[in-house]
Amino acid sequence: MSVEDRPEHAEDVIELLVGQHMLIRDLFAEVQTATGEHRAEAFARLVHLLAVHETAEEEVVHPLARRGIDGGEQVVEDRLHEEREAKEALVRLEGMDLGSEEFDAALALLRDSVLQHAHYEEAYEFRHLRGRYDQDRLETLAAQVRMAEKAAPTHPHPGNETAVKNLTVGPVLAVFDRVRDAMRGGGSQGG
Amino acid sequence: MTFNPLEHRGIPLDRQLRNWRELDVEPIDPDHADPYTRCRIIAMNGIEVEAILFSHQFARNCPSMDVKRQLAEVRYMEQQQQRAVNWLLPGVSSALENTIAYEQVAVDLTAWVARMEPDPYLKQAYEFGVLEDFDHLYRYANLYEMVQHRKAEKIVDGLTEVIPGRPTRYHHRHPHDNVREPYDRNAAAPISKLHALTIMAAEQQTMNYYMNVGPEYMEPIARQLYQEIGLVEEEHVTHYESLVDPGETWWERLVNHEYNECYLYHSFMETESDPRIKAIWELHLDMELEHLRLACDLMREHDGREPEQVLAPELPPPVTFEPNKAYLRELLDTQMDLTTLGAGYVWEAHERFERMQEGIHGGEAPPSDRVVDAHRERFGSDYRLSTEGEHPDPRLREQPSQER
Repeated sequence: MSVEDRPEHAEDVIELLVGQHMLIRDLFAEVQTATGEHRAEAFARLVHLLAVHETAEEEVVHPLARRGIDGGEQVVEDRLHEEREAKEALVRLEGMDLGSEEFDAALALLRDSVLQHAHYEEAYEFRHLRGRYDQDRLETLAAQVRMAEKAAPTHPHPGNETAVKNLTVGPVLAVFDRVRDAMRGGGSQGG
Repeated sequence: MTFNPLEHRGIPLDRQLRNWRELDVEPIDPDHADPYTRCRIIAMNGIEVEAILFSHQFARNCPSMDVKRQLAEVRYMEQQQQRAVNWLLPGVSSALENTIAYEQVAVDLTAWVARMEPDPYLKQAYEFGVLEDFDHLYRYANLYEMVQHRKAEKIVDGLTEVIPGRPTRYHHRHPHDNVREPYDRNAAAPISKLHALTIMAAEQQTMNYYMNVGPEYMEPIARQLYQEIGLVEEEHVTHYESLVDPGETWWERLVNHEYNECYLYHSFMETESDPRIKAIWELHLDMELEHLRLACDLMREHDGREPEQVLAPELPPPVTFEPNKAYLRELLDTQMDLTTLGAGYVWEAHERFERMQEGIHGGEAPPSDRVVDAHRERFGSDYRLSTEGEHPDPRLREQPSQER
């Protein structure tokens, strides 16, 4: 079983997103150690996963946290600020030579801030949400995120050449937009 | 290369104080560091915590103001050493991830000590205990995949297998059966004293860690598993601390503690793969040499004895973190069904053991069983990392999944 398949076992949206945090962490490590084409391919997977993940959080989780937890407005503002910075850093990375020292340094910085961001979400948002919302609701939201993920795949499936091609050529911002459209359309668009 | 810490001068005590900037150490990388570097950090943290707690106990039993002041000064430096060492752990790692690393320490450190221990009674104590730590690693690894959606192999990196050991449910013995006979301070080899201190300190830190991080979890099974394994750690601390001769004077104990710190910093300096961390081990060794010199002076003054009478003439071979897979599999094959009775070991479940089991389990499956059941229910099988073939004990081989 590849690591990418693991969140399929997740039952609610919090478990799904915690699982994605782990995948993101492992993918950063993979990009850092990979070279050449493997690095380009792993980086493309990372961009897609971050797009799906951050968009799901913005569209689904942050609104719940805003309304549902004490100080939610401010907590969410802090997270959105971190997410904007991460997206900008990704766009900068996209313009760099993947084999350069500049890329290594920028990637290491982005990794630190994304992992820190994930830790804050788990500590200040996720752990409060489960006490606040019922399980059915959290499971329905997980289904919504998974559907959007299918509409804008985060990793190539064997034999699906078009997906591989899309994955490696998509500019960062376009990927985020595509995921957002898919999520807002409940998975009916894209594909 | 031989090294006698009594023959080396360290950093004078009045030059050991570090400022905030010097204490603000850069943590190791959670995903690229050598897993055994993390093990050395965790083990050394346990050693420093024991140094601090021991020094406090000594001070509370010491009428001399001068000695209390010296203990306080050395202890402050040891507190700083603990901060510099434990703060090498990265914040990205959750408590559960650290827990799995703690169990990797318990497995590979105890196994190494068991292999090196010359005294058969003491060796048996380590061999008995390590099969329990080994099972804890397996239980926490199943919890880790359930709550954090990541596999423990990312942490232990194939260096340590994650398969069932002596089932945790059987670790709950009557407290009287956890008390072992001590070594004889006049007859025991110096290395035996160092081994006992090291493993006692490591288990004590593990106990304290589980006592404190367990309630930070929200998942009921996580909270319960930390309670259960935390109580087994209480048994382990009782088991290992009782190996130390209580007839040692306070001065002698202080000297043994400081000598052991020198031994471990020297060992880790010799075996460390990360140059930056190696420099920390070396710096701390230079500090410990001075702590040892001061302790030796106290012993000469108050005990009227030369420290050389109780210490080894040179440091033993370095304590080394390395895979112990074959050794552990041999123990799995031969010592799985062992339990304790009084200060010894038996193969049958005796009456006092059965009574304790009934009392603590209350007729239900303990959290350590339920965590594996829950994993099976959810993923179709338990989590294992088996690199050396099927389990030596046929009863513990992977069962076909029983999906409902």
